[in-house]
Amino acid sequence: MEYSDPIFVVIKKGILHFLHGFLPEWTVVIISIMLSITAIAIFGPVTMMYLTWLERKVVGRMQNRWGPNRVGIFGLLQPIADGIKMLTKEDIVPQDADKVTHFLAPVMVVIPALLVFSVIPFGRGMTAVNLNVGLLFFLAISTLTTIAIFMGSWGSRNKFSLLGGMRAVAQMVSYEIPMVMSVVPVILATGTLSTVSIVEAQLGGKWFIFTPWGFFAAIVFFLCGVAEVNRTPFDLPEGESEIIAGFHTEYSGMKFALFYMAEFMSAFAISGLTVTLFLGGWGGPVLPSWAWFLLKTYALIFIMIWFRGTLPRFRVDQLMGFAWKLLLPFTLLNIFVAALWQILPSPKNLLVSGIAEAVILVIVFFASRKDSPTKRTYIFAD
Amino acid sequence: MDVLHCLARFGFIAATLVTLAAAVMVVSLRNIFHCALALILVLLGVAATYISLKAEFFAVIQILLYVGAIMTLVIFAIMLTSKIADTTVPQTNRQSLVSFAILAMFDVFFIGSVIKTSWKVNAVTMAANVDAKVLGMAFMNEYVFPFEIISVVLIVALVGAIILGRSDQ
Amino acid sequence: MFGFGVLKGMSVTLWYFILSYIYPKKGITTVQYPEQKKEVQERFRNFPFLVYEGTPDNMRCVACDICAKECPPKCIYIIPEKDEQGRIQKKPATFDIDFAICMNCGICEEVCPFDAIFMDHDYELSEYDRLSDLMYQRDDLLKPLEHFAKIRPTDCAVIEEKRAAKGVKGRAQTPPPAAPSSAGPAQPPVT
Repeated sequence: MEYSDPIFVVIKKGILHFLHGFLPEWTVVIISIMLSITAIAIFGPVTMMYLTWLERKVVGRMQNRWGPNRVGIFGLLQPIADGIKMLTKEDIVPQDADKVTHFLAPVMVVIPALLVFSVIPFGRGMTAVNLNVGLLFFLAISTLTTIAIFMGSWGSRNKFSLLGGMRAVAQMVSYEIPMVMSVVPVILATGTLSTVSIVEAQLGGKWFIFTPWGFFAAIVFFLCGVAEVNRTPFDLPEGESEIIAGFHTEYSGMKFALFYMAEFMSAFAISGLTVTLFLGGWGGPVLPSWAWFLLKTYALIFIMIWFRGTLPRFRVDQLMGFAWKLLLPFTLLNIFVAALWQILPSPKNLLVSGIAEAVILVIVFFASRKDSPTKRTYIFAD
Repeated sequence: MDVLHCLARFGFIAATLVTLAAAVMVVSLRNIFHCALALILVLLGVAATYISLKAEFFAVIQILLYVGAIMTLVIFAIMLTSKIADTTVPQTNRQSLVSFAILAMFDVFFIGSVIKTSWKVNAVTMAANVDAKVLGMAFMNEYVFPFEIISVVLIVALVGAIILGRSDQ
Repeated sequence: MFGFGVLKGMSVTLWYFILSYIYPKKGITTVQYPEQKKEVQERFRNFPFLVYEGTPDNMRCVACDICAKECPPKCIYIIPEKDEQGRIQKKPATFDIDFAICMNCGICEEVCPFDAIFMDHDYELSEYDRLSDLMYQRDDLLKPLEHFAKIRPTDCAVIEEKRAAKGVKGRAQTPPPAAPSSAGPAQPPVT
């Protein structure tokens, strides 16, 4: 069992050692980078394809039906059939669309989705690039998606696309702030921005989700992450039947496939980052490290799919109110509780911060409760 | 390893050229939305420059704030004020050639003086390792007064924006 | 309290998810067509068929043309059989129903006075060619009385009881009318 843990690292080292014999030094460095990139470039789209399969099966079972089960056993070849369909569809560009913008938007959506995979630690020693500002890199690159959605909605030259795009950008910008704020306690607790160090600080069962501030910060971060990738219940920008298809109305075929791919890869990346920050990354007792990472990430993805099968969509004012009035004050107060936890000595801090957290929760809930409407009285003519 | 240094320099030069080309595109493209996209490219190029100067924290903060927030604001402003099918206007007028000539002369003096200056490098600051932690400590210890003034300025801006954006009642 | 509605909803879907694995008969309500087919109701009507008793030659239809006249989109075309002298036999030589036009209303069944045409339960009638393959001729439409009894037992029982009570005999029991003599109609004697 202990041989399967570093298996990918060993394979890569083996290849590099083999090449070291007859290639100059600089080629080996470049090939090492290329190997990591190739691994991510294979893993990303394949993950996305099988995430679509998983989503359809799980949502189907929640709705009392099988998911797809005709194409291949258990429907496992369904994503390949979908891929072939998307590739062979006619690519329709509206006549007066802004051609450069319309063409570049799907490309620019996929770039951040793939780039952020480079700072997620998939296992022990299995991070593609160990930046020492890795966490901030993730958050900064995900803001590039906003620009790409703008481009998509503007380049389509369609009022519904524009409206969907503006709503999408408003939603993403609003939910970035609680997302970043809820990560601050983690930085406070570990003192570093590097994702690898954050995982190493949580080894041995001391996951951040078991602390009072970490529990609520994880929930807030996960909800903001779901909002960032525009998934139900926050999928107003692309809600089918609300606004036709929002910012990707005018895209067909491969371009739509790129938008779809970016959405699922971002969902995986957000789940991966939540696992890294709050759920202990690749730490775990028996299984290899990458197996634990995948298990935890897929558990969070199951929760995302569960949300999709259960909840209706937020209305746009409810969406913005949720972010600004509920999540943002809550995350700011959470930072204070995390600071209390850090400063006070060990047995007392759990009690004090637990009580502080409960008080904050109660205050925030009561402050954000709307007045219940008065019961209507009907006056009938006699 | 020499080859890697060459490749790194090549990358830095390529990033700088892209930045300059995008900067020229910002002021010369006809469609204003394309100009905004070129501005995003300029800011990304500046971030690449920061990375090559080993200041990765600044590069990431540049992307997070400039591209993620400020350019979003600029694009919102463009979208809300120009029609989606605006006629594109030429970006130059009749005096472009004269202004180009004067600017070229100014550039010769400016770039000449920049190249001829011997920029003194302080050994202490070169050896300093600036990352997020050191910056945070500096904000709280030596530069706490400017930090608080900045927060006050931000609050004034927020309150001013709310007052300006409120409907008159 | 705030947030508990969401948790309650999510527990319902989780329960259905688990139920679909541990007890599929109740958890999943999909009918896997075409391996499993859902049973249709007895009074389901899709496309008409002609009834015969015993042999296909013994059909109940007498080519009275009432169903063709009552059919709303006029999809039935009947030509009665003529013997070698041109006299009309009480049997259709051609009975065409065009499935592309038929709207499955069942009026032909309701107006037939001879209980000869009924609506079938078969719905898998797709063809590749719209113009030629969807025209059903007389021999395609003939089905035995046992088929009718199998698909619509209560209706069949009621109709057969009514026929027996009225003493209606089928074609096999009724002797054909005597052939008239080769002479014309009887002439009054010339006196």
